[in-house]
Amino acid sequence: MDIAATAPLPGLVTDVCRHCGDPCGAGAITSAEGDFCCHGCETVFTVLQRSGLGAFYSCEVTPGTSQKQAGRRDVMRFAVLDDAAVAERLITFNDGKTARATFAVPSIHCSSCVWLLEQLWRFDDGITRSEVDLLRRAVRVDFNPTSTSLRRIAEHLTAVGYEPSLSPEDAPDRVPASRRTLHLQIGVAGFAFGNIMLFSIPRYANGAPLDPTFQRMFDFLNVLLAIPVLLFSAAPYFRTAWEAIRGRSMAIEVPVALGLAVLFVRSLFDITTGHSEGFFDSFAGLVFFLLLGRLFQHKVFDRIAFDRTYRSFLPLSVRVERAKDVEPIALEHVRPGDYIQIRPGEVVPADAILTNATARIDYAFVTGEQTPVRIAEGDIVRAGGRAVDLMRLRVLRDISHSHLASLWNNPIFAKTKSRWLTDVASRFGAWFTSGAVGLAIGGAIAWWPETGTAASVATAVLIIACPCALTLSAPITLGTAMGLMGTRGLYLKHPAVAFDLSRIDTIAFDKTGTLTETSERRVIESAGLDSHAWAVAGELARHSTHPVSRALANDRHAATELSVVRVSNIEEAPGRGIAGLVDGVRVAIGTTDFVGTGRTSSAPEDRTFVRVGDETGWVRVSSPMRPGVETAARALARSYDVHLLSGDHDTEQARWLDIFGRRMRFRQTPQDKLDFISASHEAGHHILMIGDGLNDSGALAAADVGVAVSDETACMVPACDAVIAGERVAHFPAFLRYARRARTVVWLCFIVSVLYNVIGLTLALRAELTPIASAILMPLSSLTIIGLSWGAMQWSARRILPS
Amino acid sequence: MSVLILLIAAGGTVASGFLIAFVWAVRSGQFDDTCTPAVRMLLDARTPLDDASAQRTTTTESPVSTRV
Repeated sequence: MDIAATAPLPGLVTDVCRHCGDPCGAGAITSAEGDFCCHGCETVFTVLQRSGLGAFYSCEVTPGTSQKQAGRRDVMRFAVLDDAAVAERLITFNDGKTARATFAVPSIHCSSCVWLLEQLWRFDDGITRSEVDLLRRAVRVDFNPTSTSLRRIAEHLTAVGYEPSLSPEDAPDRVPASRRTLHLQIGVAGFAFGNIMLFSIPRYANGAPLDPTFQRMFDFLNVLLAIPVLLFSAAPYFRTAWEAIRGRSMAIEVPVALGLAVLFVRSLFDITTGHSEGFFDSFAGLVFFLLLGRLFQHKVFDRIAFDRTYRSFLPLSVRVERAKDVEPIALEHVRPGDYIQIRPGEVVPADAILTNATARIDYAFVTGEQTPVRIAEGDIVRAGGRAVDLMRLRVLRDISHSHLASLWNNPIFAKTKSRWLTDVASRFGAWFTSGAVGLAIGGAIAWWPETGTAASVATAVLIIACPCALTLSAPITLGTAMGLMGTRGLYLKHPAVAFDLSRIDTIAFDKTGTLTETSERRVIESAGLDSHAWAVAGELARHSTHPVSRALANDRHAATELSVVRVSNIEEAPGRGIAGLVDGVRVAIGTTDFVGTGRTSSAPEDRTFVRVGDETGWVRVSSPMRPGVETAARALARSYDVHLLSGDHDTEQARWLDIFGRRMRFRQTPQDKLDFISASHEAGHHILMIGDGLNDSGALAAADVGVAVSDETACMVPACDAVIAGERVAHFPAFLRYARRARTVVWLCFIVSVLYNVIGLTLALRAELTPIASAILMPLSSLTIIGLSWGAMQWSARRILPS
Repeated sequence: MSVLILLIAAGGTVASGFLIAFVWAVRSGQFDDTCTPAVRMLLDARTPLDDASAQRTTTTESPVSTRV
């Protein structure tokens, strides 16, 4: 085993999984090597150390992928790879001795992944080479089919924590083919452009006329070079334009294609008639620069897509019936045989059997069929069904996380809210394109008697008109914003949500789980005992993990250090209380009858009784506010109309009074919340609802933007638009400010583009712009817009968003 | 001036050679992934196993060590 790699890294935080970096909660494993969140992570760590691949951990701190779900899947799941038909899909080459297969591995995300997966040959003699494609999350493996098999390779991948996905929708996309064509088109256009410029030098130099023989030869060579540019490099523009014209619609490629056609035909005409040398240099240059812009655009979109797919692995939870009550449990901990409750609007995470008498369910996400089906007790409910009524189910099979992730991204969940921006962009695009073509014709007519100038003007207008702000600025700005917000804890479902966020004027908060924490509780009220007695009680409480005990132990009274304490005879009665001897004094904490207060149980239910010796007191614990949330809510209240919607009693009203004033509603049922949101939406407000998603799914769906708060796990509320990590709620104002910045950037790009078009078109119509000048200016404007959108969002993220 | 024709022919040949080389490079997949190589070059070619394997060959603990 390698010593350097196993030595703990300096400054390693111990309560974080050594492998994947997740916080180690219940069920954490502590070993000499460090802490692990689950057995799967520990296994991967051990496998890597044993194979001498411990350096995996020195490339990045905790580079691994969480294994919480992995160990619980069917071990036979890769048996299908022995089937020739399935294997066919993965294998790209096979001559009997060497074979090449491409696996989709969705969890690839960093340089450590690349390093580890390219060491795959160390695990199996049959593997000769493995190569990672980071951006497409794929591993290409060359292997010897006689000594190993696809199935074994898949198992090796899983053993090191990179389970390949066999589902067709995860298959590495076929981008390379079209991307290769684009590269070739750029190469050909660039080659022609350079050479045509060489042959045009005499003309640029404006020197003495060339010998007619050379002139003819140069002209001929130029035509020869321009033909492949027209037929091959510019083909995508002509194809799209032709499809748009046939479909009687307008695409932005139409003016470009028209411009190219006019330029080529006119140059050809000029040369054959001996009128002039033509504009083949402009023609090839325009195509070359346009394609370069397209390549750059692809790269930006790839980057955005890469960030997006990685974030589709959302933590999800479901409410499981445990001994006493119903708890939200992370999906990976749900086992067959568990009883789960699915509320209306939630999605059934695994195949299960209905145990209520009857219920309705729809399979809109699976089959697209919206009509609910009535099912009876004992019927099997398939994963992906959406509950219409409250259902109690017994889980039959393990949960497939990737299946749920794909459901989450299903377009059916997308709201039918007006996607204002896309509508405007497409309508404006059509208008713009028609306008450009009209202007070109108008310009040509105005200059008509001089045919040369008329043609020049028409060409220049068609080329210089560039609606790229519309087509590029919004997707790049919002896509970048979405990616950057995702890395900082706010996961948007769609880039357009970033735009919706910027239009919000009203915010409704849920209380429990949003403004307050769900896990940690604190003492908020206590009575009956002196501080010494509280300290004694706190010593006993330290021996229990019950939330109330933990709250009591951490309370400031109990924090008073007692000199020598011996706690003995501890008995814990689950659900009732804990008792024991603290320095010989009998102490009990729990329900009235457990503690033996002698009182009747008429006291409020939320009190816990404490008895120290003969004295009795009580405490009330409650969830504390999330750190920083109060400041955040106060900041939001200054610029937004903020409301509090809580399902609880109004006992804590005072705590919120100075932030929300009278805009607080308590004892709200989910229906009340939904009604409030709908009413506000109908009144013309742009309302944002932020809630835990357990009780608020209806309200989240009805709001203009629904944000679900997730603490480690989020409920499967596909109706929401975004998920925010619990500890990031305090930073919500920053996210809103960033979303508004994104909108400003989009508008800024619009202005830049309008200015560019007005100036460019004016010059072109006055015949002051040669085709070569417009050929350089047009792609330049696209690049400006891309750079502005991308750069401004990156810069703003660093300035505005929390790191 | 006939030297110009010669020069153009020579230049054209060289340029075509580069174009053909480019086409070959694209077709053989060298431009398919322009992202991973940038990451890969930051990783050490020499791994801890390479150091350890020298000792392992004597103990024949692992069959893979011969490949290093």
